[in-house]
Amino acid sequence: MADHLVFMMGKFEAPIPGDRYYSENHLWFLPEGDGFRVGFTSYSVRLLQDVYFLDWTIDSDTEVRKKQEIGEVESSKALSTLYAPANGRLLEFNDGVLSDPSAINTDNYGNGWLYTFETNAQLMEPPDYVKLLEDGWEDTQRHLKGQIN
Amino acid sequence: MAAKKLTVVISQQQGKNPEKRHLEEEIAAALIMDPDVEVSLVPHLYDMGPDHTGMLFLRSVPGDLVVLSWLYPRGARWTLDRQRVRGHEGVSLLDSEDDSDESDDQSDSQELNGIGSLDVPDRKIYCIDLRSDGDHQVFLDEIKRIGSEASVQTVDLMQWISGSPKQDQLQRYLHPDRMLQAMQSNGNGTNGNGQTNGSGEADGNGHASVLPEPAKRRWYPVIDYSRCTNCMECIDFCLFGVYGVDSLDRILVEEQDNCKKGCPACSRVCPENAIIFPGHKTPGIAGSDGDVAGLKIDLSKLFGAPSAIELAAQERDVELVLDGRDAVGLSVGIPKRQADKQPQQRDDLDDLMDDLDNIGL
Repeated sequence: MADHLVFMMGKFEAPIPGDRYYSENHLWFLPEGDGFRVGFTSYSVRLLQDVYFLDWTIDSDTEVRKKQEIGEVESSKALSTLYAPANGRLLEFNDGVLSDPSAINTDNYGNGWLYTFETNAQLMEPPDYVKLLEDGWEDTQRHLKGQIN
Repeated sequence: MAAKKLTVVISQQQGKNPEKRHLEEEIAAALIMDPDVEVSLVPHLYDMGPDHTGMLFLRSVPGDLVVLSWLYPRGARWTLDRQRVRGHEGVSLLDSEDDSDESDDQSDSQELNGIGSLDVPDRKIYCIDLRSDGDHQVFLDEIKRIGSEASVQTVDLMQWISGSPKQDQLQRYLHPDRMLQAMQSNGNGTNGNGQTNGSGEADGNGHASVLPEPAKRRWYPVIDYSRCTNCMECIDFCLFGVYGVDSLDRILVEEQDNCKKGCPACSRVCPENAIIFPGHKTPGIAGSDGDVAGLKIDLSKLFGAPSAIELAAQERDVELVLDGRDAVGLSVGIPKRQADKQPQQRDDLDDLMDDLDNIGL
């Protein structure tokens, strides 16, 4: 696969590992068995900062549609509803991260995984994800700045 | 004989929350004793149909009017406007203190380019949200302040209503003390609960027809004409015949009760955010002004939230399917928007991410 890549968010280096796939809503997908293990990319984590609350509003082992609401996350500086990245089946949740979400900040590509997922949807290769980040960077900053002011 | 009285109407809650009822009763009891105020109680503003006696009463008030309700002021104002209870916007300090520094009433009225309301009488309507504070004294103080700045009424309210050919039922609105007493002895509010004995029947104390008839819960969009530009996107989008046009070709919520309960889809489609569903759980859709978002950044857009149009189409499809019709997705009545406009100014945003930690929110 591609080499380990990096995306610059201002002065912060966000690592984008080459050993997995990515989605437009900033999740990584590591192939595992017939499905994927899924978690937040460093881009997401950099925007969230310290995560202190994570909640899922659907049961494990459930069929989902793309953009369906599946949960919410809250951190010291941000909050968000969480949406299914694609049509597919959500298999199981990482319970560890529910009781202690700090792993999302300390090891987002490893122990901070969120859930396992089955899908046939087309996912992005690392260089395509980095291009998405580069193309959207101006707009994202504007969107965030607009909320702060 | 001329009397300088301010009419205050308390529009009661939809449910039976005892804290809300307590606040309503405390305010009513104090205002009954106030010689400068004519107070009355009506059911939840939004639920009253056009022929409800409470609405007839509201329409009969000629002078300045203060309406206390469990609605955002913008939602209350335009609900009243649709029922032909109209006036110039009275500014209440209670609700404008939530606004951030950038938006005060002057700048708001300059930005708005809606088609405006019609036949607006020269008097002020003050809409106040009863959720603004838990202390009844705060509302009483604000009403006092409004009373002192309100224009002089040259017509005695009591005479006006008694003199004109109104139904006997309107008398109940002129005796709020009896209404309050009946409410308290029944231990319920006038909230559309037909099972209790408070629904207009005589109770043990002989308070026949003292309480207004209950108002059934309703769901329909309310147009804010200060923002509406008459673009007609809503009438194209709604497939349930809720919207129509009046004799001047202005957009109108014509068949209010055709609206599917709980569906807010059209409000997402309006380019001017001029459509309000006063009972919706999202403050922006319910007519709240300004950013209630608080101090946190909302990342939902980044994490995959559907766009407003996508969401509207999804919600509309749900209602179509429930009606036994076919879902249409984005293929029908979807506004054709311009591509994202270029920003007018380019800020230097390079250091934004590094500054995020340091921003004093």
